[in-house]
Amino acid sequence: MSEADRTARPVRSAAPAREVAQPDDHAPLLSELGRTTIGDGVVTKVAGLAAREVPGVHELGGFAARAVGSVTERVGLGDAFNQGVSVEAGETEAAVDLALVIDYGESIPRVADAVRQHVIKRVEGITGLTVIEVNITVNDLYFPGDDQAGAAPRVA
Amino acid sequence: MAGDSAVSRRVVLARLAADVIARTDGIAATAGPAGRWQTAGSHQSVPGVLAVEDARGRVELELHLVARWPIQMPLEQLGEQLRERLRGAAGLAGMDQQLGAVSVAFDDVQADAGSAR
Repeated sequence: MSEADRTARPVRSAAPAREVAQPDDHAPLLSELGRTTIGDGVVTKVAGLAAREVPGVHELGGFAARAVGSVTERVGLGDAFNQGVSVEAGETEAAVDLALVIDYGESIPRVADAVRQHVIKRVEGITGLTVIEVNITVNDLYFPGDDQAGAAPRVA
Repeated sequence: MAGDSAVSRRVVLARLAADVIARTDGIAATAGPAGRWQTAGSHQSVPGVLAVEDARGRVELELHLVARWPIQMPLEQLGEQLRERLRGAAGLAGMDQQLGAVSVAFDDVQADAGSAR
């Protein structure tokens, strides 16, 4: 399926569309009594939160994303739950890209596979979209004590 | 005793919707950026609910919502549940014939800080 196909948003059912203002980033789920729309941001957040639920995932995002994310979050512009997650959602399908930091000592293939399965289960279960791919990039390993690195003075 | 009863169906149905949203677990209404989605009442606005009269004089509602993590059911099902409850509430208020289509938009997900690592 081409990228253009995946991002196209044809109307899912033959129900008549109403002229109600609808942001472009919403996919309509039509019924006779009204429509239900799920924003792309919702799909992104569900994917990110689902990935965080998997044991062995320390956090999401590359170094730059985490550094920028911590700043934007502090000034109220960013959202930590979107960090390291990119989602392309169409009318019925979604493709997810994740950047992970995995705990040292965990099997990277095992964690990546568990994340892939869990994200598919959560996104499909919650949004009704079919997840056609989950691409995972492991950006870093987290070593216990990394958070304290540099905190202790090197000299007395 | 005779008299007029001037009630804005739009505002009343928007308030009914806000009440149903408030009583539904795991969900909150959002007015969106700059209060984009709200219905102005005589005393206060109803955030997260757009109420518009259609050509047949029925009131169409558009609900803008934030789901709370963890989400316990498919969002489409949650939307249907809201619609049913709202129609029930409108029926109790004697306004079911005046309620038109109810659109539900999930705009965001809210999770507590412990969900982010």
